[in-house]
Amino acid sequence: MKTVFITYNQALTEKIEHILDKLAIRGYTRWPQVQGRGTKDGEPHQGTHTWPAMNEAIITVVEEDRVAGLLEHLNHLNDKAEMQGLRAFVWEAEIGV
Amino acid sequence: MSIYEKAVKKPISVILIFVGVIIMGMFSLRYLPIDLYPEIDPPIVSIFTFYQGASAADIETNVTRILEDNLNTVNNLKELTSTSKDNTSLVMLEFEWGTNLDEATNDIRDALGRVESYLPEGVEKPIIFKFSTSMIPIMLLSATAEESYPALTKILDEGIVNPLNRIEGVGAVSLSGGPKREIQVNVDPRKIEAYNMSVEQIGAVIGQENINLPGGNLDIGSHRYPVRVEGEFKSSDELKHLVLGNFQGRIIRLSDVGTVKDTLAETTIDERANGRVGARIVIQKQSGANSVEIAQEVRDRLPVLMKNLPPDVEIETIFDTSEFIENSISSLANTVMYAGIFVVLVVLFFLGRWRATFIIILTIPVSLIVSFIYLYATGNTLNIISLSSLSIAIGMVVDDAIVVLENITHHIEKGSSPREAAIYGTNEVGLAVVATTLTVVAVFFPLTLVQGLSGIMFRQLGMIVTLVVIVSTIAALTLTPMLSSQMLRLMPPRKKGVAKAVFGTFEKFLVWLDNIYEKTLGFAVRHRVMVVIVSVIIFVASISLVSLVGTEFIPPADNARIEATVELPMSLRLEKTQKVARDLENIWQEKYPEIEVISTSAGVADEDNIFSAFGENGTHVINFTMRLSNSSERERDIYQIGDLMRQDLDSVTLLKDYTVSPGGSGGGMGSGASTVEVIVSGYNMEETGRVADHFMEKLENMEGLRDIDISRDDPKMEYQLVLDREKLGIYGLNTATVANAMRNRINGLIAAQYREDGDEYDVRVRFSEPFRESIESVENILVYNTQGEAIRIREVGSVEEYMAPLSIERRNRQRVITVTGSLYDASITDVVNEINAEVDRMDLPQGVGIDIGGTAEDQQESFADLGLLLGLIIILVYIVMASQFESLRSPFIIMLTLPFAFTGVFIALFITGTTLNLISMIGGVMLVGIVVKNGIVLIDYINLLRDRGMSLVQAVVAGGKSRLRPVLMTTLTTILGMLPLAIGIGEGAEIWRPMGVAIIGGLTVSTMLTLVLMPVVYTMFGANRMKSERKRIAKLEESI
Repeated sequence: MKTVFITYNQALTEKIEHILDKLAIRGYTRWPQVQGRGTKDGEPHQGTHTWPAMNEAIITVVEEDRVAGLLEHLNHLNDKAEMQGLRAFVWEAEIGV
Repeated sequence: MSIYEKAVKKPISVILIFVGVIIMGMFSLRYLPIDLYPEIDPPIVSIFTFYQGASAADIETNVTRILEDNLNTVNNLKELTSTSKDNTSLVMLEFEWGTNLDEATNDIRDALGRVESYLPEGVEKPIIFKFSTSMIPIMLLSATAEESYPALTKILDEGIVNPLNRIEGVGAVSLSGGPKREIQVNVDPRKIEAYNMSVEQIGAVIGQENINLPGGNLDIGSHRYPVRVEGEFKSSDELKHLVLGNFQGRIIRLSDVGTVKDTLAETTIDERANGRVGARIVIQKQSGANSVEIAQEVRDRLPVLMKNLPPDVEIETIFDTSEFIENSISSLANTVMYAGIFVVLVVLFFLGRWRATFIIILTIPVSLIVSFIYLYATGNTLNIISLSSLSIAIGMVVDDAIVVLENITHHIEKGSSPREAAIYGTNEVGLAVVATTLTVVAVFFPLTLVQGLSGIMFRQLGMIVTLVVIVSTIAALTLTPMLSSQMLRLMPPRKKGVAKAVFGTFEKFLVWLDNIYEKTLGFAVRHRVMVVIVSVIIFVASISLVSLVGTEFIPPADNARIEATVELPMSLRLEKTQKVARDLENIWQEKYPEIEVISTSAGVADEDNIFSAFGENGTHVINFTMRLSNSSERERDIYQIGDLMRQDLDSVTLLKDYTVSPGGSGGGMGSGASTVEVIVSGYNMEETGRVADHFMEKLENMEGLRDIDISRDDPKMEYQLVLDREKLGIYGLNTATVANAMRNRINGLIAAQYREDGDEYDVRVRFSEPFRESIESVENILVYNTQGEAIRIREVGSVEEYMAPLSIERRNRQRVITVTGSLYDASITDVVNEINAEVDRMDLPQGVGIDIGGTAEDQQESFADLGLLLGLIIILVYIVMASQFESLRSPFIIMLTLPFAFTGVFIALFITGTTLNLISMIGGVMLVGIVVKNGIVLIDYINLLRDRGMSLVQAVVAGGKSRLRPVLMTTLTTILGMLPLAIGIGEGAEIWRPMGVAIIGGLTVSTMLTLVLMPVVYTMFGANRMKSERKRIAKLEESI
């Protein structure tokens, strides 16, 4: 099992949800309205007067063989609108309850 | 923190706030005056102008027209009517309802100020007269007497009128028709001629003898005494021995030339109650005073006052408006109570829990009581309108609480603690609750903006329901969750017993109903086209019912009062008129045991009376006022009895004309029949007269019209003394001298005032009766010129017969003749159509126009207003719903039930034989807000299920099944709350029957259709929703 952590501009919410639906990924936890800033470039998303945009973050735990497909879709989305900002990170998940 | 969260966390504050509201409400209720209707002052101002000696035509050109031309500029004027009679001009200005009459009167005064100098010399200053509802008598008593009759006026004045006048809130107590004492000196013209005396001389002697004069002070010794002459008559007998003068050395006394009678003044009016001679006592209240309280006080005091009166004086109540008010109010209070009981039962059976029922029921008193605070704060009264508003609202105030409580229970059953369940349960439905309230407000608030008469009537209704519903929502969002958090808990299954037997059975019934509905819905969704076609057929069929349901303005009420006016041939003597009056009284009392008091007045009250300018008057007119037993105690209603009376009058040959008005005329709204007027306008009075006569004939033959009356009077015969000015000049006389001489001898000369016990009585000198009964005796009158020569009137002029000119009526500055008829058992539209057809058939002369007015006019205006209101309300409700659903389609689907609400209205009206009138139409308007509530509940939930991923048909069927109970519950509370109103128990409540019938019919039919048709339509439009969803996904697909 892999954990995929996706953080993205909240403008992309609808599309991210659609990708998850399409790949039949049911389970996830989402934080709405989080703040963040890219490592290299892009506008910070801080919900202030200066940087009004906000991020959202999703954590989803999926089987290993589905990670590649998910990342591919996310990459595709990111390429289409690079300025919006979207990052995904994957790590190993232990088995929980 | 949201309002419900705060409420749940601070239970004591919430309870105390509501307790405070209840205390304020109780306080207001205690001081709230009770009245029949909200205070409505008819927006009419009249202007009287007296111009002594001018004929009707002179008055018209010289006074009325000048006034009209100037008054026409006054703001907000709706109609200007005038009547020009001999000596008087009466101009009536009718304003739009709701006009500030104080301002209008000021404008009128300005206009009169501008015009006064253009009026002919000798015109008296115009009098402005404002009519207000407080001038309508609240009580009319009749006093009868046997031996004490001659002194009745004095007895009543001291024993009844003055004490009653002291009651707080009483505006005026006046006496009419009582006998008046007068000392008559009737002289024989032949005798005074023989003694070379004139009536004027005798009058002067009496005046000079009847005098008290202080003569100054006398200083006698060390004291000072006043000295005076006391010449005033101590008794009327003294007059007989009064010395008039000398004739050939002999003293002539008054008894030598005539007789002195201490008697009653010649009556021009004959007042009777149940055929016994008497007087009437009219009691008016001050503006804003409590009619019921005053009447109660009068009734309490009367027995005490009666003890001091001679035993033969009897006082009876002819009418007492407070009785009708009290009965109406108490029957409406009963209606509210029954409605409350029904609502409690519905809630109890559906929920099956005492605690839950208690929480919901508590919102009823809390929200209703606020209306009392509103009424008290705005200076209104507790009346039929305000109480029926409560009755209408009672079924709606529980709706919000039901929705909230149901959801909270749901959460508790899922395992949440009552406290958390109360907060989150309320949170979930809070918005929907506010939205349904907003739709109701969108309906009732615009009612306060209606113009015209109906606007005045429905302002309170709109305001009260709006307020009550808003407060009920506030209570549902604070009091209900707070009480739920304190009182509700997870209930174990019911133990065996009566409760289980009752509620268990009902529960089983509900489950059975759920299943039936599910099956029906499944069938309907599969046969969509058929359902839609059947619905459309039902709707179209119901439209055809419209023509079968008659229309009228306001349904007549039975206030146990009938008024009748009977006109005998012109110039009939009072004695003859009295006899006819007695005969009619006897016939009626025998035939109609329902009549309790019959009070009759024949003749004219007083020639100078301002009121006599208003109505029909004359020695040939008889006015009957009859009080009947309470409407619940008799079989025949006043309209039936009135109809029979008309038949009786038809069989009396002597009558010229008559009107019978059940309910009394001008007694305010809701009483009396509505009228149709045909107004014939045109300058040439002969032509308009002919046209009017033609219509009179037509209307008399028309089904459904009664009491046809034409406004033009028959010309009245009179005698005129025509003087020859040349001859007058030769004899050294002038018109004034001759005219005065004639008046003094026939009408009489008031020579002095005879004083006794602080009261003054006229001493009238005139010719004795035989010399006042022929034309010859007028011609034989001797007039003295300045030289003291006696000349007979015959020498200077002659008496000729003459037809007095008619009175001239004008409306909007045009001469008119109106033909009026009152409706009976007929729809006003039919009658108006028939009249219009007649107008088309007729060949109208040049310059003659025809209009149709009367209540018909008001009705058309009010109906047009209501139509506009309906449009406005539909738009508002749509906006409210569209913003709640954030969709244009869902509110449209919900609104589809509206036509079927009207189907229900027509069916219900048709079955119960009720007419389409102002009240039932208001019911129809209110339905718009009530009916969509069900739709909102249903569609909202189906939308939710669809969002949760159910298929279209699944969502519709499951949603329908789960919402069936709330929909049935809110509908049943509203219908049953309205039921007592629709049955119309008690007096005065029948006015509201049409509204109850309309709402029950409309709500029943539309609810049944909501439950079947709406899901079907939803599935039809739902496919669209699927299409747009697919489009959205395709778009997303593209973008990723």
